[in-house]
Amino acid sequence: MKKILTTCPYCGTGCMYYLVVGDDGTLLGVEPSSEHVVAKGQLCVKGWNAYHFVNHPDRLTGPLIRRNGKMEPASWDEALDLVVSRLKETQTVHGNNSVAFFSSAKTTNEENYLMMKLARAAFKTNNVDHCARLCHSSTVVGLAATFGSGAMTNSISCMEEADCILVTGSNTTEQHPLIGSRIIENVTKRGARLIVADNRKIRLARLADIHVRWKNGTDVAFLNGIMNVIIAEGLEDKEFVKTRTENYEELKKVVADYTPEKTAEICGITPEEIIKVAHMFAKADKAMIVYSMGITQHTHGVDNVKSCANLAMLTGNIGRPGTGVNPLRGQNNVQGACDMGALPNVYSGYQKVTEPDIRKKFEKAWNVDSLPGEVGYTVTTAINAAAEGKLKALYIMGENPMMSDPDQNHVREAMEKLDFIVVQDIFPTPTTAYADVILPATTYAEKDGTFTSTERRVQRVRKAIEPIGQSRTDWEILCDVARRAGYNGMKYNSAGDILDEIAIVTPIYGGMSFERIDQIGLQWPCPDKEHPGTPVLHSAKFSRGLGLFSPAEYRPSAELPDEEYPFVLSTGRCYFHFHTGTMTRRSQLLDREERFPYVEISPEDAKELGIADRSWTYVTTRRGEVKSMAHVTDVAKKGVLFMPFHFEEGPANLLTINALDPVAKIPEYKVCAAKIRSA
Amino acid sequence: MKILTIQEVESFLKAIESDYDVQAPIKLHDGTRALGKLDEGALAIAGGRIPQKITNVFFPQMETVLTAGSEKIELPKPLSKPLLVVGFTAQDADCLKFIDRFYSENYRDDIYFNKRDGAVIVCVSGRCGVDGEFLKIAGENCDIELISDGRNYLLAAYTGTGKSLAEKTGGVEADDDLIEQLQKESDALPTDDLELIQKASKLLLEEKVPDEFWVNISDRCIACTSCNLACPTCTCFDVFDRKLDGKTRRYRMWDSCQLDGFMREASGHNPMGTENLRTRRRIHHKLAADVTRWGQITCMLCGRCDDVCPTGIGIKSVCRAMVDKYGSL
Repeated sequence: MKKILTTCPYCGTGCMYYLVVGDDGTLLGVEPSSEHVVAKGQLCVKGWNAYHFVNHPDRLTGPLIRRNGKMEPASWDEALDLVVSRLKETQTVHGNNSVAFFSSAKTTNEENYLMMKLARAAFKTNNVDHCARLCHSSTVVGLAATFGSGAMTNSISCMEEADCILVTGSNTTEQHPLIGSRIIENVTKRGARLIVADNRKIRLARLADIHVRWKNGTDVAFLNGIMNVIIAEGLEDKEFVKTRTENYEELKKVVADYTPEKTAEICGITPEEIIKVAHMFAKADKAMIVYSMGITQHTHGVDNVKSCANLAMLTGNIGRPGTGVNPLRGQNNVQGACDMGALPNVYSGYQKVTEPDIRKKFEKAWNVDSLPGEVGYTVTTAINAAAEGKLKALYIMGENPMMSDPDQNHVREAMEKLDFIVVQDIFPTPTTAYADVILPATTYAEKDGTFTSTERRVQRVRKAIEPIGQSRTDWEILCDVARRAGYNGMKYNSAGDILDEIAIVTPIYGGMSFERIDQIGLQWPCPDKEHPGTPVLHSAKFSRGLGLFSPAEYRPSAELPDEEYPFVLSTGRCYFHFHTGTMTRRSQLLDREERFPYVEISPEDAKELGIADRSWTYVTTRRGEVKSMAHVTDVAKKGVLFMPFHFEEGPANLLTINALDPVAKIPEYKVCAAKIRSA
Repeated sequence: MKILTIQEVESFLKAIESDYDVQAPIKLHDGTRALGKLDEGALAIAGGRIPQKITNVFFPQMETVLTAGSEKIELPKPLSKPLLVVGFTAQDADCLKFIDRFYSENYRDDIYFNKRDGAVIVCVSGRCGVDGEFLKIAGENCDIELISDGRNYLLAAYTGTGKSLAEKTGGVEADDDLIEQLQKESDALPTDDLELIQKASKLLLEEKVPDEFWVNISDRCIACTSCNLACPTCTCFDVFDRKLDGKTRRYRMWDSCQLDGFMREASGHNPMGTENLRTRRRIHHKLAADVTRWGQITCMLCGRCDDVCPTGIGIKSVCRAMVDKYGSL
């Protein structure tokens, strides 16, 4: 038996623990690290079970090629040659941008870096993106515009020292449990004030000083309303506004209209609630905003994020411990996948592909000519382009768009239209069902590398067991594809060598190396080998110089309830499962907890419709109908349904709407119109 | 009684590795203390109880129950060498004594005793807790005890196996005064926690704790299950099968009464269907139900659930809140 220190593959909190490896090379459990800065000897239920799926018999163990409509075993040579020849053929006939690459927030930084390098250097396209598009693309855009850096401004430890915490659109104890627990500890032991602004009565709401249950999608109005009160009563941090920000007059002008009365009407709450929240937040010495998908997944996601940033700047709550705008990243390495430039507009470290000097820098570093300069497709626009016949081939690494993207029928149509699909994954998924080639990859337990947590902490992932079957690490597969595509710039002896290259071309990762993060990870920006890392961003000045107030007007969601579809349907994750369920539904205890697709409905609505707890229902939207088990609970507000998207047999994303934020292209998963009836 | 330097303790443990599978507290990669083989990390006997429940050496998080091929059913093979486990505190030894009882009464759990039979238990006590804190001398429930005087270790052997192993150690004879002094220190350790848990147990047995209390506690529970998974007297497991290479392998893995699925019936009805019922059960089971069933409180105050609970509702802190609130009733 041996114990290998690694980083959890579930949420972005970034807990490290030891994988317990049996003498026969199978995983037998986990032991928390008592020395780790975040875990501190603790774990959540998913962490405790994060070993379980690795040795599951469903693992993909050899390459598969579609022949006569059936997936058949093939050699690695055969499969990879086919991948390269079909992608190249497609590009020859339809142009370089007829091919797109989906990278993965579940894979390592090194692998994300290589995926974008493969797309750009070997296949000469910027059509590379990953699932951050679906969760925090509005954060990246919104915070980059206001602060100059699209990441969590503070550290997880700051949760312990805030005097007031505004949690909005984040079910923190379920989705980032060891961050949620710090909020609970701060509230119950230190007496911090807690404001929960969330439609659902989440656990934190039970401990909150104020729980505001506004109408889904009225976030901008609510935040503007708070700022209206703060400015009207002179509670803003005048010094901070004067010395650290610009465009204040514009903010003042826009929020002037959002009086408590008007805001209350839009949000479906009382003016007193808005005034109370404004007072509590503005009067705290250290006030912090914590948000997640409830803010980002809207057609006005970027406006929501900018409004959070406006509120923090207005009250001077940026650049100090215990404050900040803190988007909690949902995946283990979604921060890293963004940092690595698995995005259609930037290289690693958010260096723009549209800037000729940056392209030149990468051409030199990668030893290639003429890197493409136009911004590529996003995950969401790539699917749209495929449905329209503009995109012809798709290489998907560790993503499951059939389950994760909005409007499943639309995604299905796109998948069916594509000429060629490669899926590189660890298990069969509804997406592999459309693949022409399936490449078996290893899990996090079978490889070395790094993940970057939500607090920008770059941490080690370590190989604990040998690859299962013929599976190979994603980075080795990508290097092999590059070589076969005739590109010689992707040869590495180890994952550590890749991080060394990342450090050279990526200023914010300049000081990172396996050696430096051997025991404790470092937080970027970490520009050189002596730099200690950066726990709090924007301390003396913002990344962009002055913070830019970016006021927004309230815009209603794309599809609101009406007579035919009287409910708001909101989607998300539950505590026990993760995203499309690929791993958690193959984990004994986690799957036992939530075995069926379900919909949360309020006791009032359930009573009115004659729906009993744990009885079957049909939930219907304009996109389709899904059979789902009713969870009658006061977590749900009257008029609102909530469904998690983990279940293949009851996919919530069959129902969601493919309406995107105009800038970030993030889908509106949090609001669409629905109806429900007993099955 | 002999007294050994830490180097002599290590030499002794290495010398008996040919006869025993020696598991001792070691430092893992980032300094976390855990049980391991001597060549897997630096020996770290001092530092208090190891963070993980030490009984996991006999009842691990996941293990094979049987393997069914097309022709026969194979049971786990006996260990090639018996285990010798160093690092039990006095409380841990109490826990082990209880789960030995639990796994042997009524139905004897062969998988557990496959590892437990013949295992040598070595307790660690004296001035070697966190920051030199004194750890209670067990004096029983183990084969050997290493009692720290702050620098070296007195070696006390209590059983036949322990005594014959003790003969193989180096070291010199210890001064009787030192032994007496350490025993006095151990006897003088505060018993506040014991009194607290006994008071809490009484409150529960007398049904003086209302539902409202459990609602408040359970509001803070994030269902991480760590309290169960870290508890040396938690013995619940779930069973599942995996089919691989033409064989079906049956495993068991730690389960948690803090999960809704633990008691949920096939119909969907759950007699423990709310968080406050489950939180109540966690404490009530050890402090009241087990008193009735086994004649003893089955929390031995090791403190692991208090350390591992992310929201501060381990058993001691809940008992403290309970006694503060209802103790005068």
